[in-house]
Amino acid sequence: MAQFTDEQLQRKIQEGFIVESEADMTETYKKALIGQLTVQGDTELISAPAYYMAARDAPSTNTMVSATAIIQDEMGHANIAYRLLQDLGVDTDYLLYDRPPEKFKNPFGFDQPLANWAELVTANALYDRAGITLLSDVHRNTSYGPLKRALVKVGMEENFHLRHGEVWMRRLCEAGGEGRDLVQRAVDWMFPMGVEWFGLPDDRKRHNAQLDFKLKGMTNDELRTTWMKAVVPLCEQLGIRVPAHSNEETGEVELEYELPIAWDPDDRVWLLDETITWDDVWERWRARGPMNEEFVDSVRRSRFQVESLLAA
Amino acid sequence: MGHLSGEHLYEIFARQKREDRLEHVGTISAPNAALARAYAWQTYDEQKWFEMVVAPRESFEAVNRDEEPFTLGPVEAR
Repeated sequence: MAQFTDEQLQRKIQEGFIVESEADMTETYKKALIGQLTVQGDTELISAPAYYMAARDAPSTNTMVSATAIIQDEMGHANIAYRLLQDLGVDTDYLLYDRPPEKFKNPFGFDQPLANWAELVTANALYDRAGITLLSDVHRNTSYGPLKRALVKVGMEENFHLRHGEVWMRRLCEAGGEGRDLVQRAVDWMFPMGVEWFGLPDDRKRHNAQLDFKLKGMTNDELRTTWMKAVVPLCEQLGIRVPAHSNEETGEVELEYELPIAWDPDDRVWLLDETITWDDVWERWRARGPMNEEFVDSVRRSRFQVESLLAA
Repeated sequence: MGHLSGEHLYEIFARQKREDRLEHVGTISAPNAALARAYAWQTYDEQKWFEMVVAPRESFEAVNRDEEPFTLGPVEAR
């Protein structure tokens, strides 16, 4: 390592250089890449128990099969991110099996229980859309060759999850009655979760190493806007209310509340009128949501229970 | 370090059609070749592969470079 200074490496990358191994990296680059891959791996991994919890409410054998196919994809994507981390010398055994659950870097939305089929398909439509927004930007722009190549497979499968979510939201909404109500209730709490998914706004972002080294191309605000421009028109089409609307004159999507807002964990509702600070949000994220430990434990159980079964 | 004790790193190669070239599609950690085959087939199922093979990374013989093989990753799908 340290073949280049940070400034030299940034310049080379801006000129099109692709980083292929540790020998090409600076410490700053490596640290930023490890941070990015950990968020990516943890988010994919924790989506599996979250989706599994809701898949148990699948309305039929067929729908259960498509839900478990999605869960299997997510485990595969986590495996890919952790495999890339191993190549950087990261102890992924520790990350997976010994790290305190509160150190997992999945978004707050995946610390929440998904209670039923409508919440599962809404998660596919909103959260997998967030995943595609983030990862397709990484795929287009990343300076790390192994990640760019690995994301081809991930992108293909995430698009399947997204279609699954959107088709099912439509199906439930068209059925009307209870199906539509369940989707509306899911969107009510999951839409602001999705808005928050993209992190601090650009004017509050503390470091930009990921942008400087082209580990991604778009800023948090640009990513959030891209996501909203897909999700808000979908909800408008389905007649599902969201606290945002498309402005036909400007072609932009406008949020109808001031970010960030307070979350009431007991009633599991957002207080749209209660604007808080980003420090408050940090504190809420750090304190974690109700399913954090259980989801992490569920992934670990599957290994250690199988091991003790085989040893018996 | 990095993968479960007793596990080896396997590189996965596949082709979609019989006339395609065999291309690198990914990597997997597994305790033995039989499980590596199973994990590879389950994980890299984004295509209907005509052929898939796995090989332990430690079996790679460097031809023109002295240092470790360049970090491998899956190739762009065609």
